[in-house]
Amino acid sequence: MSNFPPAGVFLVGALLLPLVPRRVRAVALLMPPVASLVLLWILEPGQTLTVPFLDFQLLLTRVDRLSLAFGYVFVIVTFLGGVYGLHLKDVGQQVAALLYSGSALGVVFAGDLFTLFVFWEVMAVASVYLIWARGTKRSRQAGYRYLFVHMAGGSLLLAGALIHYNATGSLLFEPMKGGLGATLILVSFAINAAIPPLHAWLPDAYPQGTVTGSVFLSAFTTKAAVYALARGFAGWEVLVWAGTAMAVYGVVYAVLENDIRGILAYHIVSQVGYMVAGVGLGTEVAINGTTAHAFTHILYKGLLFMGAGTVLYATGRSKLTELGGLWRALPLALGLYMVGAFSISGFPLFSGFVSKSMTVYAAEVDHRGLVVLLLNLASVGTFLHTGLKLPYFTWFGPSRPAAPQTRVPWNMYAGMGLAAAINIAIGLYPGLLYELLPFPVDYRPYTFAHVSETLQLLLFTGLGFWLLIKMLKGEPIITLDTDWFYRRPARLVYVIAVVYPSHLFATTERIALRLVQSLVSASRDPIAALNAATVTLFGRYPDGRMPRRRHNTGDYDPDRYRLPVGVMGLVILALFVALMLWILLAR
Amino acid sequence: MKSTWLVLVVVTLVLTVSGDILTRKGEYGQWWYPVPGFFALLGLLGCMAIVVVSKLLGRYWLQRREDYYGDSGAGE
Repeated sequence: MSNFPPAGVFLVGALLLPLVPRRVRAVALLMPPVASLVLLWILEPGQTLTVPFLDFQLLLTRVDRLSLAFGYVFVIVTFLGGVYGLHLKDVGQQVAALLYSGSALGVVFAGDLFTLFVFWEVMAVASVYLIWARGTKRSRQAGYRYLFVHMAGGSLLLAGALIHYNATGSLLFEPMKGGLGATLILVSFAINAAIPPLHAWLPDAYPQGTVTGSVFLSAFTTKAAVYALARGFAGWEVLVWAGTAMAVYGVVYAVLENDIRGILAYHIVSQVGYMVAGVGLGTEVAINGTTAHAFTHILYKGLLFMGAGTVLYATGRSKLTELGGLWRALPLALGLYMVGAFSISGFPLFSGFVSKSMTVYAAEVDHRGLVVLLLNLASVGTFLHTGLKLPYFTWFGPSRPAAPQTRVPWNMYAGMGLAAAINIAIGLYPGLLYELLPFPVDYRPYTFAHVSETLQLLLFTGLGFWLLIKMLKGEPIITLDTDWFYRRPARLVYVIAVVYPSHLFATTERIALRLVQSLVSASRDPIAALNAATVTLFGRYPDGRMPRRRHNTGDYDPDRYRLPVGVMGLVILALFVALMLWILLAR
Repeated sequence: MKSTWLVLVVVTLVLTVSGDILTRKGEYGQWWYPVPGFFALLGLLGCMAIVVVSKLLGRYWLQRREDYYGDSGAGE
């Protein structure tokens, strides 16, 4: 029983949750994470669970240190998100959150490509509900776009898996060697990992999620993809450069973004860049760095989304141009948010420092100077936006009338507090995290050189922010991203695929209906039709009469062709009179 | 009050850089190791470059009005 799939706990929980009384449902949501934390504790690397399906042996559970590390953090963040959402009364969102985290666990423990595909798709469907549940027009539209992109990604994964199976005869999910199948699978992973240009679904959809939903969204999809990349594509050179490029790309776009959760979303792209680059390096220390960074990223990004969500919950606003001066109203949210901000920026004593520096160190020992420089540049941008610009213009800055309208429930602070505590604990005792990593760790984050470099980098970023502060305030604009390619031509596609065909259908229908109508009236009254036709062609009736009135030509009048009843009566009367006369005279 | 903060900030900045200068080391032989205070420069110039380049990209290429895609978000 100890190899029971951890995903199963969540799926059973999702099934049972609607049956739990409404008042304790939010508390019941915390049970599956706790139960599967215990389960993960019992699981030993090397354990498997095989289930026969058709002609295949599906590997529902395959445990090793890599999957365990991701499993632990997924379970922890589900618990934190559950605490943050304790006040929620929406059973749909609660079930979706459980399904979503359960399927993410399923992905992480999937031993074969088919199991992976099934959980991959469940993840997409469950997560889109967390966007739609916001209930606005924009969230509905963004949710559809999100779903379409992920369905396309899922189809690529299935196609890739089938081709891979055809080529190798094995469905096992193991490091890929190359070929068409592997390439398709890589593209589908790249979509979920939000590698540009396949990333636009993320900053499009995550800012539109519900306050609690976006906390879950920020954790699972991209990091499950990072896990899948680490499992299947470690050491693929292309990922080093894709990861480095996306680390900088996210930072550039975050300058222009106006929505606070949009800024955080672009920084997911940026942070996942470190992990993807680490996967591309593929060395033991790089995979350790990737795993460690995914672990801490989930915790501090969850905390940041909770902080931004608190602002949105309290004020109903999420744009920099509409926020400001909240430090008096939401000081606790600011403090807890800043723990997340220091963590993501990689300040010493916070969680990001011990994981991010490890990934950069992996590039350093690989003698990749440019990668190291660009990743450090991305760190600069991260602190600039998440640590300075966003909190400054939200909590301080030009004060706008953004007084909170809704009181923030205690549990939201409790969720943030727990997350902040874990982030600080990892920063203070990196050994807690390093124990969970897939390979033995021979790396010390707190050397004088590292601390000094990091402090220089970040403090002088602060100086730069102070100098350029006027340029950094939010602008009420949107920024074009690669979603332009499927959003802007949408109108053209609409015209080609909807307007023109509907014109065509309407015209065809009109012609067909007219044809049928004339056939019906012709067969109901062939004479009238013949009359009408001859009048049209020759200007007169078949019997030679001229039509009198223009519109009275076609009416069939049977009396025109038969004698009136009176004539018959006259004949009969005449016969009767003649008969009478003959009888009278013949006597 | 404001000048106290300023002095504090300047002292911190100077300390971080000077600490670095006093203890140069070259572990993995990147070209910038001999440059004292390199990361301070990277932080300051990188920050400015990111802001200026992004803003230019935005102004001349990427930024559009909020209703560019046909929804102004008024339905929220």
